Parts: sequence; structure tokens; C-alpha cells
Amino acid sequence: MMWQHFIWFATAAVICWAIGAIIAYRSNRLSPVLIPFGLGSAIFMAFIIGLWISLERPPLRTMGETRLWYSFFLSVAGIMVYARWRYRWILSFSTLLSAVFIGVNLLKPEIHSKTLMPALQSAWFVPHVIVYMFSYALLGAATLFVIYLWLRPKQRIPTDEELGVCDNLVRIGWAFLTLGMIMGALWAKQAWGDYWTWDPKETWAAATWLSYLLYLHLRRQQNDHRTAFALIIISFILLQMCWYGINFLPAAQGLSVHSY
Amino acid sequence: MSQLRHNPFLHCACLFGVGVLLQLLIGDLDNRFFAHPRGMILAFNYLYLLILAYIFEDKIPIFRQLRLGNTATAALSSMVIIIVLFGLIRQDGNTAGVVGVLGFTRMTSSWPFNLLLFYFLTTLGLATIHNWHHLRHQKVASLLAHSAVFIALTAAWFGSGDKVRVKITTWLDQPVYKGLTADGREYELPFAVTLQRFSMEEYPPKLYIYDIDNKRLSRDFLASEERVGIVDDWELRITQHLSEAGCMPNDSIYRTMRHVGTMPALYVVARNVASGRSVEGWVSCGSHLFLAASLDLDNNRQLVMPAPEPKYYLSQITVTDAENVSRRFDVAVNRPAKFGAWQIYQVGYDTSRGRWSTSSVLECVRDGWYPIVHTALWLILAAGVAMFITAGGRTFKKQSARKEAES
Repeated sequence: MMWQHFIWFATAAVICWAIGAIIAYRSNRLSPVLIPFGLGSAIFMAFIIGLWISLERPPLRTMGETRLWYSFFLSVAGIMVYARWRYRWILSFSTLLSAVFIGVNLLKPEIHSKTLMPALQSAWFVPHVIVYMFSYALLGAATLFVIYLWLRPKQRIPTDEELGVCDNLVRIGWAFLTLGMIMGALWAKQAWGDYWTWDPKETWAAATWLSYLLYLHLRRQQNDHRTAFALIIISFILLQMCWYGINFLPAAQGLSVHSY
Repeated sequence: MSQLRHNPFLHCACLFGVGVLLQLLIGDLDNRFFAHPRGMILAFNYLYLLILAYIFEDKIPIFRQLRLGNTATAALSSMVIIIVLFGLIRQDGNTAGVVGVLGFTRMTSSWPFNLLLFYFLTTLGLATIHNWHHLRHQKVASLLAHSAVFIALTAAWFGSGDKVRVKITTWLDQPVYKGLTADGREYELPFAVTLQRFSMEEYPPKLYIYDIDNKRLSRDFLASEERVGIVDDWELRITQHLSEAGCMPNDSIYRTMRHVGTMPALYVVARNVASGRSVEGWVSCGSHLFLAASLDLDNNRQLVMPAPEPKYYLSQITVTDAENVSRRFDVAVNRPAKFGAWQIYQVGYDTSRGRWSTSSVLECVRDGWYPIVHTALWLILAAGVAMFITAGGRTFKKQSARKEAES
């Protein structure tokens, strides 16, 4: 499987996701939605597996490769939220956001080489990145949901159930963020001799982790949804800084060991 | 006024102010202050005082306030703000300028950061003690997360003075027992390290087009195992591939050799897709013994081969202690050696010689507190799993209603 095949797999996946998202608005049953949407995710995963085989290494090294996983996990997060809470709009949103990341990958393709530097040759590599990408997708879904609640017509006050969806998405996303961060710490000790060095990537990862933790604590203290929503959006901005923002941040240039 | 005095956000702001003042008056917080046995004694006393503060919280309201939710919110907010602040400032240890003088270029030795971290740790510690005291009402994930993060941070903070990292450069068959710490101090190790053998596996070489005017390599490349490909507007065809080649002085032909310093060499036929013009010749990355070769494509572009990237490198070492007891180890990236309280990491090699390097850069690390941190990290991992499993239940509002009903 080569990169030039990506456009075909991505198109097929987006069509399947779009069909699933449309059916969600027309049917109350789960399976007519789940089948096309799941098929889309399966097609996308088939490409990732094919790329993995052709590169002879996990496609998790470059920014473009992590974007692939993000598109995939957005669809997974979308279908999970739909299956659990039946929010019809989530499938359209996750399809749209996945399509945006696919578009970025098509417009700005990476050069995919088989090279995998020694530091990345570890049993921690695959679970660390996959868990992080899954977490980013869930927290992305939480952000989309908050934007929807904030911008929807008539400025309706969110219900307890809607706030509960936010809480659960952040809770699960934060749980995976924690797993990714701790796996990274255990791996860093094995590779570099220290579990935490406040490298720019680690600094922004800590800020992101603490910011979502602040949301979880704040929601126990008060019911002001505006502060909570603002915090989810701020946390997601911090997450973007941690993921790729540091590549453009002058203060981080040349200081991070996390540059692949 | 009283409400303002008990506002935890104000406490954090004051701590930040005090931190800045201490930074200006005393300078950096030297973590060597926590060196053994001081770190251990302080940690035990700190834990003892935390328990004491919890016991007397009914008599002294400030202790009770320290573990309440709004204090946790203030402590977390201040940590997020100060970490973002440090994230936006280049952490290069520069002492010049306003940010340098205020210590904002040196996160771990900055007073404001350490004071706010200590405040966060204390609120977390008191909340953890409270959670254990009221075990029946706790959720496993929350209890585990609070306890494990508290253990990890306490061990990391009080143990920071006992962490030793010594970088050593070892040469074949030469014992080394001295190295340099991160701040450039010479450090004598309690053992000697001798490099017995250094070996390296490399990825196949790649061909790039070098733009001489702009001093830039092409984005695309041709991996040597692919044999034919197009880079920019040139079709490249590899007709000969020598893995271990050399070129004698005043010669232009590369031959396979069994010699130190051999490197890959490729014979390439390059054809410009637009004009059809062809050039051919040897391209090699060169080594410390043999010259590199590039192929001129036109006036400002050359076909070049950067040094192959390392796939895997390994140092076979012998470590000998003061009693003359020796042990042999294979050290590679992600595969450190463990010798007593020390761990030895593969860091680098002589990049000018590549796989023919006769030296290896290793780092000897001793962190007596790591077993505690290691256990705590696994507990946090377990807390994350528990949180995932138990998530998706009640909303916070329902939980707080339940708590109110219970109280």
C-alpha cells in the first residue's frame, strides 16, 4: 500500500461516514447507521494497516501519520458517542473534522520513509501514540459538542444530560491522556534516563493534562456551564500546542527531543 | 476582607509574588539542597506535618480550607498558568534580561514555580489523606489517582537533589571513571566503564538533489533499494550498488573493499525529464577515510548522498567496581544496563566516523527515588484504566446531590 492509494481509501471512507451520518437523521435504529459508518472506519483502517506493512514500521512517526490516526479515531469516537447517547449531529461533525484532517494530509503529504530512529524502536511506541491520538479524538469531540451547545440557535441552557455528555467525554479523554502521558514517562526513563525533563513537549502535555483536570474539578464545584465550556476550549487549544503547536513556537525551537 | 484573606486564588497570587521576590533576593533554587539525607528527612517531616495538619483541621480552619475543592481549583489554575508561562518562554537557562533575572528561563530552579508546585502538592496531599480517611465514600479511580500523583510528585520533588546524570565518552579498551554532569561539573563514578566493541546497523542510503544556491536538500528522495525513481524533474536509475566501498586517492572509481572506513557508493544515471539530458557517475556519502562524491546535474544542482541514518547501535561494555568485580553489558538505545544503583544509557557515538566509530557516548544515571516514582507511575496508569472503566455513569450534578444528601 502506497501513499498514492490514500485518496481512494479516504474518499470511500468519507462517503461511507457521510451515508451513516445522513441515515442517523432519518432512522431511529442503530444498525443502519452503524453498518455504513463502521465500514468507513474499517476502510480507513485497512489503508493504515497497508501503509504499516509497506513501510515496515508503524505509521506513527510523522505529523501526517498521526493525522491519519486522528481521522480514524474521530470516526470511532463519533460512533461511540452516537451509540451511547444517540446524538445525531455528532456523526456529521466527526465526519467533517475527519475530512478536514484527510484534506490536510492530501494537500500537505508527508514523505513516508521506512526510517525509524533507534529511540522510537520500543514496545511503548505504538501504545503511547495510539492512546494519545484516541484521547485527542475524544477531547476533540468534546470541544465540538461544546461549540455546538454554545452556538446553537435560541441560546438554550444546556440540560444536565448534555453537560453529562461533556463530562463523560472529558473523563474518558482525560483517562486516555493520562495513559499516554504515563506510558511516555515510563518510555522516557528507558530511553533517556529520566521520566520527566520539562522538555517543551512535556511542558505543554502537563499544561493540557492539568487543564482538563481543572475542568473535572471545577464541574464538581459549580454548575456555571460557561466557565466549564471556556475551559474545554482553552484546554483543547493547549492540546493543539502540545501536538503540533510547539513546532511553530519560537521558544521551543531546537530544545525538544521529541522531533521526528 | 476576611473572605478575601481566605481566597485560595489570592494565596496563589501571593505565593507567586513571594517566589519572584525570593528569586530576586536569593537567586535560583538549587535542587542540591535536597541531596541525601536532607531530602529524605524533609520528606518524612513533610508527610508527618500533613497528617498533623489534617488531624487539627477542625481547630485551625486554614488546614481544612487547604483540602477543599475551591483550593484545588485555585492550585490547578495556578499550575496551568505558570506552566503555560514557562512554555511560552525559552528554557535555555539564560540569566540576562528581565525574564532571565526573574528565573523564567529556568523552570525547575525557579522559586515561583516551586512554591506553587508545593502549594499544589500540599492541597493534593491533604485531599488524599481525607480520601483515605473516608474510604467508604470514595471511587477507586479517584482514590488511586490522587494517591499515586501525590506519591509521584512528592518523590520527584524531594528526590530531585539525589538524581545524578553523568555523561562519559568511552574509547575502545580504555577504562573511564570520570564524566561530566549536565551543569559541566566533573564527577567521579564508583566504577570504571570500558568499551569493548561498538557496532552499528544503518538504513540503506538515500539520494537527494542539493540546491547549491539555496543550500537546501530536495524534499523528495530516492531510497537506494528502490533503484529507479523521480526526484524533482530528474529520473534517477541506480545501476550499481556497493554497500562497502572505497575510492583510492586520485581515482574516480569506487570498488568493494574490506577495509575500515568503507561506505555505500551508488553509480547513478540521471536523466532530466524535461530536456532528456543525461549525466552519470558515482555518488557516495564518504567517510572519515574516503572522500565523498556527488554528481553535478546542472550549474546549481547536485545529486548527493547524506550519511546513512542509524538503524541500531550497540556498545559492548565492561563495568568494573572498586572491588575489581567486572560485569559485561550490551547497551543500546531503549536498552540500558543496570549496575547496582546505576543505569547506563547509550547516548551517542562519533558521528564523523558513523559505524566505524571507536568511541561511544554513554550516560550513567543514579536516581535513588525512582523505584517509588516507578511504582507511582504504574498506579497512575492503573487509575487511568479504572477511570476509563468507571466513566460514563452519573453526572457531576447527580453525584454532588448524592453527597449533599449523605451529609
